[in-house]
Amino acid sequence: MTKRIDQEQEVFPSHSAIPLIGVDTGGTFTDLVMVRGDELRTWKLPSTPADPSRAVLEGVRRLVGDAPAFVFHGSTVATNALLEGKGACVALVVTEGFRDLLLIGRQNRPDLYALHPRRTEPLVPGERVVEARERVLPNGEVAVPLLAEQIAKIVTAVSKTGASSVAVCLLHSYAMPEHESALTEALEREGLEVSASSRILVEFREFERASTTVVNASVSPIMGQYLERLQSALPGSTLRIMQSNGGAIRPRTAAKEAVRTILSGPAGGMVGAFAAARRAGFDRIITFDMGGTSTDVGLCAGEIPFTAEAVVAGWPVKVPMIDIHTVGAGGGSIARLDEGGALRVGPQSAGADPGPACYGRGEEATVTDANLCLGRLLPESFLGGRMPLFPERAQAAVERLARGARLPVEKMAEGIVEVAEETMAAALRVVSIARGHDPRDFTLLPFGGAGGLHACSLAETLGMRRILIPVGPGLLSAFGLVVADTVRDYSLSVLIPGETGEKALKELFYPLEERARQEMKDEGALEDDIELVFSLDLRYRGQSFEVNVPFSKDFRNAFHRRHEALYGYCDEGREIEIVTVRLRSRVPGHSPAFGGEPRRGELTRLRDSQVRIDAELVHCPIYLRETLPLQAQFEGPALIVEESATHLVRPGWRAKMTRQGCVVLER
Amino acid sequence: MSIDPIRLEVLKNRFSSLCEEMGAVLMRTAFSPNIKERRDFSCALFDGNAEMVAQAAHIPVHLGSMPMAVAAALERGDLASGDAVLLNDPYRGGTHLPDMTLVTPVFFGGKKPAFYLANRAHHADVGGMSAGSLPLSTEIFQEGLRIPPVKIVKGGVLDEDLVDLLLANVRTGDERRGDLYAQLAANRVGERRLAEMVAHFGLEETRRYASALLDYGEKMMEGVIASIPDGCYSFQDVLDDDGAGSGPVALRCTVRIAGRRAEVDFSGCDGQVAGCVNAVRAITLSAVSYVFRLLAPEGFPSNAGCMRPITVKTLAGTVVDCVFPAAVAGGNVETSQRIVDILLGALAKAIPAAVPSASCGSMSNLTIGGRDGKGGLFTYYETIAGGAGAGPAGRGASGIQTHMTNTLNTPVEALEHAYPLRVRRYRLREGSGGRGRHRGGEGVEKEIELLTDARITLLSDRRVSRPYGLQGGGAGAVGRNRLLRGEEETELAGKCTFQGRAGDRLCIETPGGGGWGEDLAPEGDV
Repeated sequence: MTKRIDQEQEVFPSHSAIPLIGVDTGGTFTDLVMVRGDELRTWKLPSTPADPSRAVLEGVRRLVGDAPAFVFHGSTVATNALLEGKGACVALVVTEGFRDLLLIGRQNRPDLYALHPRRTEPLVPGERVVEARERVLPNGEVAVPLLAEQIAKIVTAVSKTGASSVAVCLLHSYAMPEHESALTEALEREGLEVSASSRILVEFREFERASTTVVNASVSPIMGQYLERLQSALPGSTLRIMQSNGGAIRPRTAAKEAVRTILSGPAGGMVGAFAAARRAGFDRIITFDMGGTSTDVGLCAGEIPFTAEAVVAGWPVKVPMIDIHTVGAGGGSIARLDEGGALRVGPQSAGADPGPACYGRGEEATVTDANLCLGRLLPESFLGGRMPLFPERAQAAVERLARGARLPVEKMAEGIVEVAEETMAAALRVVSIARGHDPRDFTLLPFGGAGGLHACSLAETLGMRRILIPVGPGLLSAFGLVVADTVRDYSLSVLIPGETGEKALKELFYPLEERARQEMKDEGALEDDIELVFSLDLRYRGQSFEVNVPFSKDFRNAFHRRHEALYGYCDEGREIEIVTVRLRSRVPGHSPAFGGEPRRGELTRLRDSQVRIDAELVHCPIYLRETLPLQAQFEGPALIVEESATHLVRPGWRAKMTRQGCVVLER
Repeated sequence: MSIDPIRLEVLKNRFSSLCEEMGAVLMRTAFSPNIKERRDFSCALFDGNAEMVAQAAHIPVHLGSMPMAVAAALERGDLASGDAVLLNDPYRGGTHLPDMTLVTPVFFGGKKPAFYLANRAHHADVGGMSAGSLPLSTEIFQEGLRIPPVKIVKGGVLDEDLVDLLLANVRTGDERRGDLYAQLAANRVGERRLAEMVAHFGLEETRRYASALLDYGEKMMEGVIASIPDGCYSFQDVLDDDGAGSGPVALRCTVRIAGRRAEVDFSGCDGQVAGCVNAVRAITLSAVSYVFRLLAPEGFPSNAGCMRPITVKTLAGTVVDCVFPAAVAGGNVETSQRIVDILLGALAKAIPAAVPSASCGSMSNLTIGGRDGKGGLFTYYETIAGGAGAGPAGRGASGIQTHMTNTLNTPVEALEHAYPLRVRRYRLREGSGGRGRHRGGEGVEKEIELLTDARITLLSDRRVSRPYGLQGGGAGAVGRNRLLRGEEETELAGKCTFQGRAGDRLCIETPGGGGWGEDLAPEGDV
């Protein structure tokens, strides 16, 4: 059944015969997944960085021709505009006396031991900062009103800067947004795009709010142009854009609040991983996405976790995003011996160019080269055999290092893997142990091309006993886009006592709720489908970091318990402060079945090979993933090879297929 | 047995993430703005000989000084499993009184501890003659409660009597209790991680690699020193005054480089002074360790081995190695910056193409304390950034924390929520950076209005002597402190304390950084 909703006649993608497409634009490849009823198709093609929409459109046409579709898109347009400094020309309006707000920041330097400390160049240079004579106090009282002639002066000054996009961030605007609203109206009348901090991030701490707002002002126009191009090339289709919080929004919203899409890439992967895990019957997972230069890890204890503490290209971006921890170790990380005689791996990476030595151009040994030397990667089936590898180059590169350390080459290759795995294990500890979770209660879910090579070893280091290898580990982000919910987040800094009554709190939530319902309807949602999740950021009065707990009658107790789990103690006699109230509105997305029919028949091995594990050369069968029959079981050591990834089943682990086509490893 | 480069790297990372995790717990649960917002704390792991194996890179001024705290705890000679020792006495392991250090011995069988964990955190107040405990004092007794190494936890039980005694002697005792709990929680996390490591690698192997890491640090530092030309390099500079009416106070050093070894000689420094700018030797060691660390490549370890190739000579009774009962409140925050200035000045003679000009050279410490509108006591403390020195690589950064501190500012919106204060202006101070081929960074201008009567204490320097420029670059502008009361404007001394009134405006302008290289542009062209 098709539901018609708003004036745009958009169909909200809940259930229909119209194909659903997930398109994930990555640095190297654009991945697509299409679901139509029971039909599942995937496609991978090189990205087109100069205009990413080219690859997107080509992929969509490849899958559905010119037929209308729901296209869920994870885009890096906003991120790249920020990282490459190609955002819009932005002006910033701040309260009088604080013109250098962005430049001074938190006054610290990023590198403690830099002989020449440097900071990121502000996105808005001094000559495009305009001061507004006005002042609001912490309680929302106006100390200096913003007069009409002052507004006129500011509009003139902003126009003179030549900026096309304006960020407005006035002190305490979270408590009293009217000054920002008045400025926004006046500036919009001049045809300028305006990002008001009291719309983008209604929270206290002026630098972080200003930074988030300025990033939004910088990337939104670029995102807007891109989405316009894309939509006009897909006239019959409905487009949804992935946000960093793992939920999708419509293009019109994304174009105004593009800062919410800044870290959407890894978010898609996490959503896809969690959806795959839930289908397989696991809801406590640690995800582990190993790419070429870095590895993203995340932990879901029954739900996807969020944070608002990200820093992108040196700028705080405080919108809610899926909590993902990134470390600089990946397949392309370069190994070297340092002056003190320790083996270092990364953070320098051979990247895509020249790439690991075994790709044919690079000279330095990388983690991928080490895996190849150890027999854990098969040269003939890398990327489905489409990419030739040169094992002799890998061998030579690792040998050079081994000579320097006076170690046998095999030992060096194992060492490179061990050091890289130590960095990844540290990342897994950060998201689990350091946040009060015992990794032994979780299933490890590796994805990305190389995740499966290191999963067993990492699980052993952390005491974990189960690994879930999802279907299409190289395309999980695109899968995640298809199943993503529609999500919008709202927050309001209140800084009130923890004893505040339930009724008063509900009153604080009310305007947020009203806005959420209206905007969800604008997104095309039906009233009945909207789910609202209320939560509070709490701390002991006097602390500076908050802990988020769901809003309930018992929230104070829940806070004490969470504080204890996180930090090892709580203090029930101490006064609590409610810093921020948060509301998440959500409309559940799709849950199509992936994986298709499981195969029947005998377990057959592709061939056998020699693989180096724990300082010994062991005999190791190789299985092709697509030929694994349902209920197949086998013991490690073994290699499982598929088009987008290779998995190492270490001795002591037993592999079996699930009905959904996943491989579960247990020990 | 030989040392495996692979295991060395693995354990190095494991030790340092243990310290990082301790720091995260401390920061997120503390109450003192100095700890939670400005990250004025450090966490470290020591081996059984009290040699520092790893330290999370938090605040440089703690770098070289933590080992003395562990040594002082050890001197008790009675540490048992489940104990934790608290101290802040500068003459027994501390630096200045607000810095409280918690040392936990970690046993794995045996009579002697196999490791020690320590964390040091700057508490907002430890009593004494002025709120914030950074007074213009003339003897240590005025600066607050002095805590020799005492067992605050015995056999796993917190000594509540002792805690009560401590808290009765400080302002806002309830918050200090919160900070103390945060410090205890941090060491507990460290203990857990250490136990996991020992379970995994075995005790002997963990100890062996801890010791190998010290050798590793030594070797790395030798490489750094070897890259400096052999020779003898001297420099001198001054502190404006001692805060008790005398000055300037001269600091001199001579750096002797011979191959892979360095000697830093401070014996030419002025004798200890009546005012509060005396530094204990621990601080001088920290400054030396920081400066050599600046010259080292990225990813350099922080451990006791790094200091082995460096000999530091100080004379007891001088301003860089003061003896009891000298006042020390400002040694940590001001004198430490000048020690860095003279060391870098000396090294600039050896490696002129690498060393930048002087940075602002003062932390511009501001403390405001009094009663808030609700009748409670408040203490606000902050250090204010200045300009960084320019160098061969380009102009100095503006409005940035330099050298021995890297503490964050309190957001204006957070500050106005928490204290009866209003910030009227917070911006760069144009034209304060020294001229030169590369200009020095600009200082900061911060104007704060009191909404209630309160006691103000300023502990700042470089209000008379300017941050030097190098290779022909001009000096940075000196800082200024002013009081605006109605129409009346009063110039304040660099170090002063007075009773402020509601409506008073305090305007602090911090020094700019020194310029670098001759200005080749024609006059007037900036």
